[in-house]
Amino acid sequence: MSERKIRVLMSKPGIDGHWRGGIVVSRAIRDAGMELIFGGFQNVEQIVESAIQEDVDVIGLSIHSGAHFAYTQQVIDLLKERGVLDNIMILVGGVVPAKDFPKLKEMGVANIYGPGSMTSDIVEFIKTHVKK
Amino acid sequence: MKVAYDINTLISKFKEKDKIALSKLITIIENEPERAHEIFKHFENIKHDSYIIGITGSPGVGKSTLTGQITKKVLEEGKSVGIICVDPTSPFSGGAFLGDRVRMTDISLHPNVFLRSLASRGYKGGISRAVFDISLLYEAYGMDIIIIETVGVGQAEFDIYNLAYTVVVVLVPGYGDAIQMQKAGIIEIGDIYNINKKDLGGEDIAVQIEMMLDDTVFHSGWRPPVSMTDAIAGEGIDDLIQNIRDHKEHLELSDAINEKKKSRFTYKIKELIYSKIQKLISESFINENEIKEIVDHAVDDGKFKIYRTIYKKFEDVNFEIKKK
Repeated sequence: MSERKIRVLMSKPGIDGHWRGGIVVSRAIRDAGMELIFGGFQNVEQIVESAIQEDVDVIGLSIHSGAHFAYTQQVIDLLKERGVLDNIMILVGGVVPAKDFPKLKEMGVANIYGPGSMTSDIVEFIKTHVKK
Repeated sequence: MKVAYDINTLISKFKEKDKIALSKLITIIENEPERAHEIFKHFENIKHDSYIIGITGSPGVGKSTLTGQITKKVLEEGKSVGIICVDPTSPFSGGAFLGDRVRMTDISLHPNVFLRSLASRGYKGGISRAVFDISLLYEAYGMDIIIIETVGVGQAEFDIYNLAYTVVVVLVPGYGDAIQMQKAGIIEIGDIYNINKKDLGGEDIAVQIEMMLDDTVFHSGWRPPVSMTDAIAGEGIDDLIQNIRDHKEHLELSDAINEKKKSRFTYKIKELIYSKIQKLISESFINENEIKEIVDHAVDDGKFKIYRTIYKKFEDVNFEIKKK
């Protein structure tokens, strides 16, 4: 019979043409036996609505524009407003300097993956931390 | 802390058209199909019928983009649309990359749309086991139109024929010659044939399809029309929608719509029975370990014996059943 699968939404908020990172991580998530919904370019409202309709456990935000604080905060605020923040884990990846990690974590991001991150670490983190 | 949802709360929120509740009920039904009864018993006095459209065709022909374009037009008429998109589950990892929603970003915020992406989870036939149940949930929710987009299919995954009232088979330029058109399977099941990517040509395919249709006897009295679209540019969508509307009207006037409904229910009832039997068999008759044992034995000791082994098993189970 069917089993519970971890569902992950991968989105790129805003206008930012760097697809590759999001695709590579998405593929790793697929290969780890999870269901990855590829959102592509989405604005904040679209990300939150997709996360709700797809009932995902994780949102991955792939950001290479430098606007990681602004977008992440907006996503978190809207998830909270819709009453679903507690059920969704947020991960941020892309060109994010290490000095910004603590602040993102303070905002509620579960983990951040900057350049040089291992996809195996991302997969492992999701599998360990998704609350069942 | 993760919020736990109980069915009764979800049902009452669902009845207030809460999309979060709809989404959570879909998750329950997909992961625990045996709980469908627990959910559907609350909807027994709902009479609403949705019109169900199936979109099928090979990978990359533009099913998702077309689905988005059809939805956009239907929304303009003030109707609501529930979409189910299926993509394949990997036979290796059990994971899936669901890439249909990304083609429909522009409709995703419309209040009258709900879109759920599904992985096939090992189910054959071009859909997933949960598709029927989710379409029923959409009906209970009050959707006017339901669009089911199959996985990218080959020749023989045509379960959608039993689930949708109007099936659109999507083809693209270069699909194949007159021989391909004679083959059984997917090419037979269209109520409408739509050639997408018409910016790349496709008149030849349209002619081939028309010739194939000319050679077919349609007992229903419906001769499938052929339309051509460029889904990305939004061209030809009105023609396609008109064809869908004509087919709907044909079904309703000829009462064939009831036959379509019956075939949906027959499909589901058989699926329920077969999956129950399959479960009973794997629990009591032969399990994965026993199969592995037979296979190992076959590799070591000769492949010709597998028939003897398995028919012996059949006899044993026959004996068991007779005893009961």
